[in-house]
Amino acid sequence: MIPDTLKTKLKRRVAAAITNREAAIDVMKSLQAHYGWLTDEAVQEAAEIVGLSTLQIEELATFYEMIYRRPVGRRVIHACDSISCWAMGGEALLAHLSGHLEIKVGETTADGAFTLLPCCCLGNCGEAPTMMIGDTIYGRVTLESALEILKRERGEI
Amino acid sequence: MPKLIIDDITVEVAEGVTVLEAAQSVDIPIPHFCWHPALGKAGACRVCAVKLLDGPIKGIQMSCMLPAQDGMVVSTVDPEAVAMRQQVIEWLMINHPHDCPVCDEGGQCQLQDYTIACGHGLRRYDGKKRTHLNQDLGPNIEHEMNRCIQCYRCARFYQEFAGGTDFGVMGSASRVYFGRFEDGELQSPFSGNLVDICPTGVFTDKTARFRARYWDFDMAPSICPECSLGCNTTPVARYRELLKISARHNDAVNGWFICDRGRFADKKVNSFDRPRVPLVNGSSSGWGDAVDAVAKKAAEFAPGSIAVVASSRLANEGAALLPDLARALSGAKLCFFSNEVICRASITAASQITPHMAASLDDVASADCIVIYECDLRQEAPMMLLAVRQAWRKGAPVFLVGKGAPLEQAAAVSVEAVDLDIIVEAPIGIFDRPVIIFSTMRSSAAEIKNLMAAEAKFAPLFDGPNGMGMAKLAAANSTISLESAVKSGLIKGIITIECVIADELRGEIPIIAALDWQMNSSVKNAGVFLPTTAWVEMNGTFVNNEGRAQQFKKVMAPGIPVSATLESGHPPRIHSLDVPGGEPKPAWEVITEIMKRL
Amino acid sequence: MEQILFRHNRPGRVVTFEEYRSEGGFSALKKGLTTMSPDGVQQTVIDSGMRGRGGAGFPTGKKWSFVPRNLPGPRWLICNCDEMEPGTYKDRILLESNPYSLVEGIILACYAIGVRHAFIFIRRGYEQAAANLKNAVAEAHGAGFLGENIFGSGFSCDVDIHLSAGRYICGEETALMNSLEGRRANPRAKPPFPAIKGLWGGPTVVNNVESLANVPYIIAHGAEWFKGTAATAEASGMKLFCVSGHVANPGCFELPLGTRLGEIIYGPCGGMRHGSSFKACLPGGASTPYLTAEQLDVAMDFDPVAKEGSRLGTGGIVVFDQHTCMVGATLNLVRFYARESCGWCTPCREGLPYVVHLLEKIEAGQGREEHIQILKEHVQRLNYAFCALAPGAMGPVDGLLRHFEDEVREHITKSRCPFGGS
Repeated sequence: MIPDTLKTKLKRRVAAAITNREAAIDVMKSLQAHYGWLTDEAVQEAAEIVGLSTLQIEELATFYEMIYRRPVGRRVIHACDSISCWAMGGEALLAHLSGHLEIKVGETTADGAFTLLPCCCLGNCGEAPTMMIGDTIYGRVTLESALEILKRERGEI
Repeated sequence: MPKLIIDDITVEVAEGVTVLEAAQSVDIPIPHFCWHPALGKAGACRVCAVKLLDGPIKGIQMSCMLPAQDGMVVSTVDPEAVAMRQQVIEWLMINHPHDCPVCDEGGQCQLQDYTIACGHGLRRYDGKKRTHLNQDLGPNIEHEMNRCIQCYRCARFYQEFAGGTDFGVMGSASRVYFGRFEDGELQSPFSGNLVDICPTGVFTDKTARFRARYWDFDMAPSICPECSLGCNTTPVARYRELLKISARHNDAVNGWFICDRGRFADKKVNSFDRPRVPLVNGSSSGWGDAVDAVAKKAAEFAPGSIAVVASSRLANEGAALLPDLARALSGAKLCFFSNEVICRASITAASQITPHMAASLDDVASADCIVIYECDLRQEAPMMLLAVRQAWRKGAPVFLVGKGAPLEQAAAVSVEAVDLDIIVEAPIGIFDRPVIIFSTMRSSAAEIKNLMAAEAKFAPLFDGPNGMGMAKLAAANSTISLESAVKSGLIKGIITIECVIADELRGEIPIIAALDWQMNSSVKNAGVFLPTTAWVEMNGTFVNNEGRAQQFKKVMAPGIPVSATLESGHPPRIHSLDVPGGEPKPAWEVITEIMKRL
Repeated sequence: MEQILFRHNRPGRVVTFEEYRSEGGFSALKKGLTTMSPDGVQQTVIDSGMRGRGGAGFPTGKKWSFVPRNLPGPRWLICNCDEMEPGTYKDRILLESNPYSLVEGIILACYAIGVRHAFIFIRRGYEQAAANLKNAVAEAHGAGFLGENIFGSGFSCDVDIHLSAGRYICGEETALMNSLEGRRANPRAKPPFPAIKGLWGGPTVVNNVESLANVPYIIAHGAEWFKGTAATAEASGMKLFCVSGHVANPGCFELPLGTRLGEIIYGPCGGMRHGSSFKACLPGGASTPYLTAEQLDVAMDFDPVAKEGSRLGTGGIVVFDQHTCMVGATLNLVRFYARESCGWCTPCREGLPYVVHLLEKIEAGQGREEHIQILKEHVQRLNYAFCALAPGAMGPVDGLLRHFEDEVREHITKSRCPFGGS
């Protein structure tokens, strides 16, 4: 259950929208921020707030990359696997992260800290290879600096 | 009017018609999956590729997306176009499971047909196929996502055309998935159309699963008996069993679709306890003896003391004979309706309406204003609701008038309707093509007279598939309702023709004879029972709610379904040339037999 | 060299509202709204010859002119900041250093087209750029550059910032409109074109960040001045080139449109890294066919690059050195597109995974000669997809087969990747 304050806020967002649907992505993102991922319960709540069916919310949730319909760790590591990062060793970096965290790509560490996902271009190509942890973008990541970054991120959780 | 050349044939079509339809109009078929006459273009499947050799546009184009233009020179047989269509099929078949031997769609599958037509025969792709998990979509529809070719017809029909909200498309890229948020029965009253509209076997009729192959079907054009709209159907039978019903295309009536009630209604025709042999005082009898018994019993009644009662289940061929039957029975009272109010309402609607005033479902779909007066279309005429949605999608306001017109019916097709208390609040006058929908089962004759004074078209609803036909005959033969006949105190015996009479109405009056194909209280209480054929077992005519007489053809011969006899372990061990349970005859034939004896 | 979009840049931080204004910022807005008619603004942009900077290169002013003047109902402007083309990061660099030119350009464009309400559709991951834009919009409101009756001109305008939930296809203008409306980002059929029937059925213009950000300078200094900043007589204006890959000094540089490819790589980029040699590059993002060492003299402008069989695209140049396996690079690119397909049409949804499959086999040394033929068929037939994504995905495959067919064949004949790839 989301707090009433959040629900009221989101209902106001829907009321201010040009059409209900226009607010759907914002509502899903807020619910995801609250729960950590878009739980089944969150889909129900989003449907109620936006005035769509659960299926119609699911149609959107499963289309957009940054809406998670499965549990994720407290921080999601998005490691870019597009061309500039590929050229600069992105594959090796992803393999290194996977090995260090002892999870396969797409999995979450046992302590629930990190989920490792490949992602498409993060728009930081000049500083390849790049990864994004939470909302923070890291460029020119080396195999060594990656471990430093993970350590720091883990400390902040 | 654009004039173009397709495969050396000059075609002239109306403005806005696509090249695909222009080609169809001269019998040049172009393969298509996503395009559907009712849903329009989507541009998703890309299998309708043609090459434009000359004119305003050139090169490979999708014929479903392209409005015909003057001067176009189109080739459907150009090698490049042929290669593109073949390529599309190769792409679609990469992940298709090739499970045609166990697929109910086999033999009537567009994917099979176009795979052959487009010339894809050799598999070049040697990677793995993607697979999906299926959902339980309820008792009526089987889901097999692995067969999906992602034409998007289902999702477009369900949400856009039918206004359903619990089924759609999820995922993206090569993992799109057509289904529900979670397992469960589809909520739309039109969900069964997924079976018809899917070009392959993703959605099949679960009620008839694995029962017969397409090429073994007994089928014929028919009319749905579930309400008065007369939707066109194709019932399918095999081994004397009605298996399933699909929609039959008729632009003026139901378009391409039917409702779930019409499709999945209880198949009483197959019922094991269906009365199939003539009975005299409860004992089985031959046809001759049974008809003699009717004549003998009827002769015991004083002139004018018998009532002949029919219901609007009865086809016109039988109904038209009833005035003669009544005369032959020494002036029996003829009742086409039991209930007095419904009788008068039906006769009023039928005699006031002219062909010019009657709104077909197509007229409803293209109306610019809809009034639903004191009725619930979910119950009385579901396909009317689908037509209302099409009008609403084109901008027509929908007014629900009176407490008998609940708002939930609009919600069932995601239509935003305006709730009014009385008819005068609906601003019918400001519209060019308003339609008023009302029911002869809910409104009185006076109300209907009042309604029909408006400048509008009308869609009256009747209490059965031949309601309009019965009302017209009732008016022409100045008949009365059974209710008022009984009230007169003169009626001492009743003959029912495919009709159930409420016990409180009949009181102590005996039923001399009952003609029917369903088991009911009239049949149980009748002195003589004469089995008639159901609509799928005969040729006949129903007159639908707008006054359109539509023929239905015999789909199957009457008889106990082989599957029912198998339930007892073995077919009957009696050697006979006759089909077991094959006695029923069309009502008109039985009526004629009776008249011959009177 | 004179800079246009980068002229206000401060090292390591975003320029402030006050700094931008003190350097002439928002004077073009005042000039436009108080001394020019909407048609005048539009005509100036048409006269400037500026071609859209998002990739397709359609003239910006001309796009505006397609909006019918007298249609009733709301019309919309959308700034496309869904920069997700691999190898492209110019809009982020611009907005992280200066969001104000864009905001000023949007208001001018709205004035020219008669738009009351504009949207900036910004991709996920550009959180800093989005924050900068939110501030800039608020500051512009505070100063009276947005809102009701701007400069007493009677013209009113608002800008909303929409944060995407992430999907490459959202950058396609009609998919973007679906996304903004809260639908799945499937592209829409054209016609009707967005200028006639776009967002919520109203006339809509979708422009790239860089295109709109240039508008204030065109209005301030005139069409001729803008044209003159290019490197060739045919080109018009400056261009943000963002370079990545195996160069010594990757980065985003504002250079005259028409600057030669070699001049970019061996100029501001400092040449190839570690003294390696140039093998090929994507001239304008992931969808553009490769250019090779023989083509380093090409003027980086729309038509000259097209003449070389590629496209200027976004100006995102991805450079590969001689150690790069072009089959591997192409495989990476097509994998990206296969994953980012929206799933609407068959060629894209099924054809791209097919191409991935073939390239995987070739790269793994399991390729066969006939695979080359199937790839060529796909280059041809994916052109007939619903939108430009699948044809774009075939750009690099086309380049691979035109310039590096021998390298592909070497994979097949040796049954392994000659560069030691998987």
